[in-house]
Amino acid sequence: MDEEMDSLVVNELQQTFPEREKQITELYSLIGRPDERYVTSIFIYGGPSVGKSSITKSMLKKINIKHAFVNLIECYTSKVLYETILNKLSDHKIDPSAGQPYAKCDNMMDFLQHLQVIHNQTNLDGAIIVLDKAEKLKDMEFNLLPVFLRFKEIIEIPITVILITELIFEKFYSRSNLVEPIKLHFPQYNKEELLCILTEDIHYAKQMILDNFDELLDFDREFYRNYVNVFLSVFYRVCRDLCELRYMARINFIKYCEPIMNKETSMHDSMALWRKVAPVLKSSLEVLYLRIADDKTPLQNGKQSISLDFSKKNVARTLELPFYAKYLLIAAFLASYNPAKDDKRMFVKYHGKKIKTKSDVKKKSKVSEQLNTQLGPKPFTFDRLLAIFYAILDENIGFNNNLLVQLSSLVELQLLSSLSDNFVLDGHKYKCNVNFEFIQTVSKMVGFSIRKYLSDFSHM
Amino acid sequence: MNTEVSVSKGVFVNKNGFTRATKLTKIKKKEDNAFSNHLWYKTFSSQWKNIEAKLHIINSEIFASTLEDLLKFLQRSCEHKLNEIPSAALLTGINMPDHEAQFSTLTKEIKENVSPHCVTLRGQDYHNLKLLIENMINGFINDEEAEIDVFVDNEETSNIKKSRCNFSVLQAWYENLYMNDSILNYSATGSPKKRKTVPNRKVLVVIIPDLENFNYTVIQDFILIAHSYINILPFVLIFGIATSLDALHRALPYHVSSKTSIKVFRSQPSTIYLNNVLENVLFTEHCPFSLGGKVFNLFTDIFLFYDLSVTGFIKNFKYAMMEHFSQGNISALCCHDNAEEILKNFTEEDFENLRRIYSFRDLVEREESYKKRIQLLTDNVYLKICLHVLVKDLPKTPLGKQVRELYATVVSKSISKSLHFKECFQLLDFQSKDEFSSKLKSIIGIIENNPPSNKTFSKEQISIKEKLLGFLYDLESIGTSKCVIEKNAEEIALGNVSNRAQLKESVIKMSHIQSKNEYVKLRGSILDYLQKIFEEYLIDCNSLHFHELFFFNDIFIQNQLIGMHRSAIHTALNDPQTYFQCSCCEIQNEDVILPTMPDISIAYKLHLECGKMINLYDWLQAFLSILDPAGEDDDGDNKNRRVDPELQARFTQAIVELEYLGFIKTSKRKTDHVQRLTWGG
Repeated sequence: MDEEMDSLVVNELQQTFPEREKQITELYSLIGRPDERYVTSIFIYGGPSVGKSSITKSMLKKINIKHAFVNLIECYTSKVLYETILNKLSDHKIDPSAGQPYAKCDNMMDFLQHLQVIHNQTNLDGAIIVLDKAEKLKDMEFNLLPVFLRFKEIIEIPITVILITELIFEKFYSRSNLVEPIKLHFPQYNKEELLCILTEDIHYAKQMILDNFDELLDFDREFYRNYVNVFLSVFYRVCRDLCELRYMARINFIKYCEPIMNKETSMHDSMALWRKVAPVLKSSLEVLYLRIADDKTPLQNGKQSISLDFSKKNVARTLELPFYAKYLLIAAFLASYNPAKDDKRMFVKYHGKKIKTKSDVKKKSKVSEQLNTQLGPKPFTFDRLLAIFYAILDENIGFNNNLLVQLSSLVELQLLSSLSDNFVLDGHKYKCNVNFEFIQTVSKMVGFSIRKYLSDFSHM
Repeated sequence: MNTEVSVSKGVFVNKNGFTRATKLTKIKKKEDNAFSNHLWYKTFSSQWKNIEAKLHIINSEIFASTLEDLLKFLQRSCEHKLNEIPSAALLTGINMPDHEAQFSTLTKEIKENVSPHCVTLRGQDYHNLKLLIENMINGFINDEEAEIDVFVDNEETSNIKKSRCNFSVLQAWYENLYMNDSILNYSATGSPKKRKTVPNRKVLVVIIPDLENFNYTVIQDFILIAHSYINILPFVLIFGIATSLDALHRALPYHVSSKTSIKVFRSQPSTIYLNNVLENVLFTEHCPFSLGGKVFNLFTDIFLFYDLSVTGFIKNFKYAMMEHFSQGNISALCCHDNAEEILKNFTEEDFENLRRIYSFRDLVEREESYKKRIQLLTDNVYLKICLHVLVKDLPKTPLGKQVRELYATVVSKSISKSLHFKECFQLLDFQSKDEFSSKLKSIIGIIENNPPSNKTFSKEQISIKEKLLGFLYDLESIGTSKCVIEKNAEEIALGNVSNRAQLKESVIKMSHIQSKNEYVKLRGSILDYLQKIFEEYLIDCNSLHFHELFFFNDIFIQNQLIGMHRSAIHTALNDPQTYFQCSCCEIQNEDVILPTMPDISIAYKLHLECGKMINLYDWLQAFLSILDPAGEDDDGDNKNRRVDPELQARFTQAIVELEYLGFIKTSKRKTDHVQRLTWGG
């Protein structure tokens, strides 16, 4: 009877989570049977979106045992962690008008005591505590990890703790003696597995086509599989994250089907389809992970690429800055990327002739890695910024408060970053955060030649 | 010593324009808060209210399209099953002060139309996750304004302590609100299909107006948490981004950004916003108060060069208005409906002031001509716009591309006599028929849309309109007749053709002579007529009587609007008389140092003569020689003079004050020396 149920649960899980047979069986053998649950702690690790949390979650639901599933990101204090676990294990329903937890609890001692109380009321034998994103434990109170690893021993109730994390266990080592948990590794999917999993998405794809084109495209599994294959041939090299791949596959499938819906290509001419979709896939490779899209309608996909064009190339152009703020930014760039000793030569009209020495010539033929523009911004003082600002600005304007306000709003926009603390009023230091392309566009807009004033280019 | 008071007065923009009255009003009105009885104040407040109401309308109109898109997005966002948090990135432009209005309307609209649950989180308030979450949840749960149509007592919900707010509480609260019947599920695995059956599930909107200011780790963690609850608590995020989308990518690493799906919205650039405000509110006849050329240029310069803030522009405008009206009762005449009533209320003194106005000199009879002048001043607004339509897309744009540039020229000089104006009409003379007729049409449209405010002018306007319509009709009829003529010409030419070149020549000749001539002629006469009208009505405002009543052209306002703290401190210390208004410190030349000046002022003036390092002893000697010239004479030897301890103490205090103001600092390199921190003399 038990064995029957076991195989039933395992089979069901394996169907919803293909390519994870081994892990499911293993996990089930550890926690599947209430009477055989002797494990103190299980350590589940593996990369992002390989099914760690979702498999654990659905298995716990299937085998119907008392459990508390806690995402540690949410637990900015350990108090939240304790109270959430207590709430869940005691089936405490929070009354929204009062918001009282099961019990107030902000240290481990109280927590264990409250658990004992709960255990006396409702049997906690075989209950499970799951801590997702367990890497957060490293930054939380030092006693949490050791206690959770030998929880059963300490509380003397058979409660199993499952830690789910993306890190390997060695990263958790610290001075305190850790009990080695049972480790369960969820490896990354390989290409065949991804192909198989993504093909399962066919129902969603059909629905999506229906939503977008208002007519049903009756394609079979093989057709979708072909598409996924084409898709993976482009994307597999840069991304293995299943969620991301699935998202991108869904978006691009509409594009893939467009020629068919427009009756330009037949459904079986996979070569023609590939030729049409390849450039689309390549361009969407650039927006991987950015998730800037309107995925509901295909019509707006064109718009999406436009907006991305904007964000990629013309950041400087789309950014509207007041005139003096632009000059302040240019001055900051010059101050950041020119050595201070060159200032006189660059900005003073009659700076006298410089005698060229051999070392100068040598310096000028230096490799591009040593160029100031490549070495990253250097800090500069407020006074130097103002001096350069007035040197490059043709007009003669007074030094006024509006300029200062512009400076602080540049810092706020993160175009400059302030390196001194806010309470230091004297000799504040800044750094310029924008790159050369950006500043080139900005200076073109105000008609300023930036190359003339950069020491890297001055010898050219 | 009083210097600091006057110094700070020069530095900071005074928020209340009334307390800081100009010299004129200072003399006239000692009591500051009894303005409400004054005639000028009544006019001012009524006009300002008028403008404010209009601005409000414009504001919501401009933001309307973006707002509508956003609201649609929000409404759609909760319909589908969610794998990621729907979020909107609103690119707002960098003028921070203007955002307030946008986001407050957005919040209002969301609360009315989408969901009562809407919380705004500002970056500078939340340095850690705990604060953010507690405040956000508190905002959701204890929001008293929220109209929750589901049966729950607001009274009860509003007493959860802030420290007790966490996600489990929020979840319980939300489920209580919207999922009374469905089975409560404590684990994060909700089956979304079951929840879909609850019809009026409202989204939880979180607005983050300034993403750049936010602590990145906090926002990342927040998004991760919100994502883990997305099937139970339908969050929607709205990011306000001032710079570009790059900021968003910088803030969110890929494992976070892949948890959201972002749609980008753009709001209009602020220059367009400003043009809209100017054209629809400030340049219209409803606003009789206008800025003179110089002041207007100053304001646009502040806008373009310094802050790009429309709010700032409007504040400046208001300030100018206050300055203008506070000049006295005569400025109350700056309105066009009830001028006579106001004149009735005038006292003798007011009339006297009125007579004293410069432009009144050559005007003898007052009230009769007065009305006409007002008409001229106020009704030429739309003519400016007409001119703008004519000249805006000319090559090289001699008169400027925007209405605001044109306005600046019109108010500062007599435009119809200027060189640019003639150039424009020359250029217009080369335009093709299609362009020209479309321009005429739009002018007629503008005239129709601007009904005149009084009768005398309306007649003229109607006559202008009729004349223009006639022209337009002629223009169009030319088009048809031209075709006919051309056809005829072709037929004739084809009859007796000997070679192709001849044919071509003759056709070209014919069409030139017959049709083009007609068009050119008509165009010429239209332009002549337009020029005549423009010359008649777009006269130099400064030549009109009483223009001072309507135009504010006091450029000294810039001292109040642009704070120049360094020069303010410099004048205060260099020439204390400007602030003290005392007779003892009067100096002709800046270099003169008088012993009657305050100590700090003397020390400051002495230090201007020094280089980078200043020897304290020499400084002291120079200080003493000014305050106590007698001591020098006694000894004859400068070095060994006796130092009066009181004078030394005063010197030390002055030095410390200068150090405090940031002009000098002590130096470790040379003992007995201080380092000078400012440049120049």
